[in-house]
Amino acid sequence: MSIFESVMEKFKGAPKSVAVSEQQINAALSVIIDPDLNKDIVSLGFVRNIEITGTSVSLEINLTTPACPVKETFREKAEKALLEIPGIEKAVIEMTATTRSTKPDTDTRAPALRGVKNIIAVASGKGGVGKSTTAVNLAFALRQTGAKVGLLDADVYGPSIPKMIKIDTKASVAEGNIIVPPESDGIKLISVGMFNDGDKAAILRGPMAAGLIKQFLTQVAWGDLDYLIIDYPPGTGDIQLTLSQTAPITGAVIVTTPQEVSLLDVRKAISMFKTLKVPVLGVIETMSYFICDGCDKKHYLFNQGGGERLVREFGVPLLAGIPVDPMVSKGGDEGKPHVRDYPDSITAKSYKEAAGAVAQQIAILSSNDDGGLSSFSLTWKN
Amino acid sequence: MIRVKDISQKNDRTLSILWTDNKVQNLDVVKLRLKCPCAGCIDEWTHKPILKPEQIPESVRPVSIESVGSYAMKIAFNDGHSTGIYTYQMLRSLN
Repeated sequence: MSIFESVMEKFKGAPKSVAVSEQQINAALSVIIDPDLNKDIVSLGFVRNIEITGTSVSLEINLTTPACPVKETFREKAEKALLEIPGIEKAVIEMTATTRSTKPDTDTRAPALRGVKNIIAVASGKGGVGKSTTAVNLAFALRQTGAKVGLLDADVYGPSIPKMIKIDTKASVAEGNIIVPPESDGIKLISVGMFNDGDKAAILRGPMAAGLIKQFLTQVAWGDLDYLIIDYPPGTGDIQLTLSQTAPITGAVIVTTPQEVSLLDVRKAISMFKTLKVPVLGVIETMSYFICDGCDKKHYLFNQGGGERLVREFGVPLLAGIPVDPMVSKGGDEGKPHVRDYPDSITAKSYKEAAGAVAQQIAILSSNDDGGLSSFSLTWKN
Repeated sequence: MIRVKDISQKNDRTLSILWTDNKVQNLDVVKLRLKCPCAGCIDEWTHKPILKPEQIPESVRPVSIESVGSYAMKIAFNDGHSTGIYTYQMLRSLN
């Protein structure tokens, strides 16, 4: 039975002039299924503030993330379903979003992180795969959807974020030795690179580096954030461990190039997160293909399907493939994030696709909440 | 992924954990001290125990128990030992 018929069925014999009820609206919208959560948007509680005035209806559809990839499809479907209700001639739908936290409220996390709903680790098995570029563009892509975003550059030995993003305001220290992070386009940023000279190498022993990272997580005024993206240093060492022990990481995104050697290290990264019980949200494949200026064909420079092999091997989704694009590295060198400055390019679109997929995976995780505590502390009584 | 749903002190020497699969585990805290997995208590390479059970008095008790990331907990004991990180996986394997 089509939506139209099912609605008609309910209204058999009802005169057209009778005002449409809220139940009818809900019934009509309950045919729209969220593909990730496998439930209809009415029982998920997404439909809010229904107002019926004569023949026009206005309502709000509140999604779990502003970066929802099916946002427009939902709007179109909802509009169609509403206009099929006899007696409705006009439908005004407002799409909003409240990012749900995967963390319960009763937690003992550092106060600095309490307003942070989700922490995303962007990691790679080895360096040079475009991890920081991905982290920066993911942050801007999420920000463009309206989400509140923070970016922590945890690559203590090779901080690159201050170069890739032009900072609008300076970092300052507030009362109680709390660092107020500078912002760029509303994204809160912290990097080791902000605290030393750009050209000087950070020569730090492991424990020093770990202490610094701990400080970035616990003594920075992150405020309310939907997503805090952490650009992990490459590899599987001390700092990766400290990060995962200090903050409850919602999930990790693994960045890789399609070559076999790169995939080898990715396996190690995935196994590290498995040990630390951090869910791997998926894989982003960079340098996936090249689009020349002569045609729109995707030219694959390396082995094709490396990312897909990972997906088969570990059962983690391939979030997106990012093409090789000289404009991206140029933008990075000039402090101009590609997604912000060239929002319509193929590469920017692939980053946005990646951001949408990340948000989607997190929404799936938070809907499967098993009641586990993200953190706890217990004092023994004698 | 099994995590801690609730954690509490059951009595003087028993720690009670409710896991997300609703399994309840009651653990003797003296035994937990003896099972400390840290590198000072278990040799990192040979996995042979370094800690001698006779060094641990029956009166040993935790001071505090804290979560570590989303995979483990850290227990500080009143004998001054606090370096053990007990992974959920390891705890689940104890009886």
